[in-house]
Amino acid sequence: MTLRRGTITTPRNQTMARTDPADVIDRAAGLAPGDILHAARRFRAKVVDATQASHDALLRLPVDGLPTADRLRVAAHVCAIAGAASLARHYEAELAADAGRLAPPAPALPAMLDFAAALTTDPRRGDRAALVALRRAGLTDPAIVALAQLVAFLSYQLRVVAGLQAMRAGRGETS
Amino acid sequence: MIRRNGFTDETLEWRSWLEPLRLAEATPLQLEVLDESHPQSRSSPYYLTLAHQPLMLRHRSAAYNAIMYAPGGLPRAERELGALVVSVANGCVYCTSVHAQRFEQLAKRSDTVEQVFDDPASAGTSERERAIARFAMAVTQRPHALGGDDVAPLRAVGMSEEEIIDLLQAVAIFGWANRLMQNLGEPEVAATSGG
Repeated sequence: MTLRRGTITTPRNQTMARTDPADVIDRAAGLAPGDILHAARRFRAKVVDATQASHDALLRLPVDGLPTADRLRVAAHVCAIAGAASLARHYEAELAADAGRLAPPAPALPAMLDFAAALTTDPRRGDRAALVALRRAGLTDPAIVALAQLVAFLSYQLRVVAGLQAMRAGRGETS
Repeated sequence: MIRRNGFTDETLEWRSWLEPLRLAEATPLQLEVLDESHPQSRSSPYYLTLAHQPLMLRHRSAAYNAIMYAPGGLPRAERELGALVVSVANGCVYCTSVHAQRFEQLAKRSDTVEQVFDDPASAGTSERERAIARFAMAVTQRPHALGGDDVAPLRAVGMSEEEIIDLLQAVAIFGWANRLMQNLGEPEVAATSGG
């Protein structure tokens, strides 16, 4: 499973139609071209495209102080603690695929994982002190924005996958 | 005006805990993404904070705007009801105020808003609204344990697969939006009303 990278810098108004028959959410939810729910998702093609483009940007855009490898580690951790097994496997596979080229964990990773876990399990737990801790760990404000966007996106992504899986189950299909 | 349980449908403002981008230092890309994200984003601390990562903001805004505003599919008032239930369940006072107002504008009534402020899990003035609220709560609070039984009430009130996906995406993206609003800053009472 490889990430599509081409859309990250695609200028607005020139978004190319996706050629991928199944994106990350389809694969995590067990949808394939020809399925009713695969087609129903495409009723909102802009949402499908923007969701995949968000995934690609959040994981792959260069961010000072927030290496791609650590973002994949955060994503795998978030999905694991949220019980999103198929997405956790996706992010772990991405990490494994890049294993030879990945940077070792940054010193700030433990602080990132703490922030990610708190944000994922209870959005009320965040406070100003959590951001101060990330700054103390060496993250700039733009890096904190990228990390918060990633973790918040994962809360969205894992819920879309869970909902699609429930819709499949309700249709009598098995995961 | 409705005030209950710490929630309100009055207009609130939001203060960032990070340093928002200063417009004078914005790149052309940052300005372009701000303008395509929201009409008032150049004066919004929230959007100016997110604009530190303009491409991430661009794709987030594209998803958000298509989920909440695109025509057809689930009526927009019902997408706003989903967003409102999630915002209350997550304790996001700022998001709650915005989406209470949107629901009231689209539905032209506020009875459901009062019910959501009181207890989002049992809210709804019709079987269809109650099904929407219960589904929004389930997706928000136990995504790992969702099943066909959680979807059945939506099908029972006549929703198509496309409409259920519209609701699912509206509910899910407030898992995203609430977390940003609640963890990068805090609401404050507006200096001037309106807007």
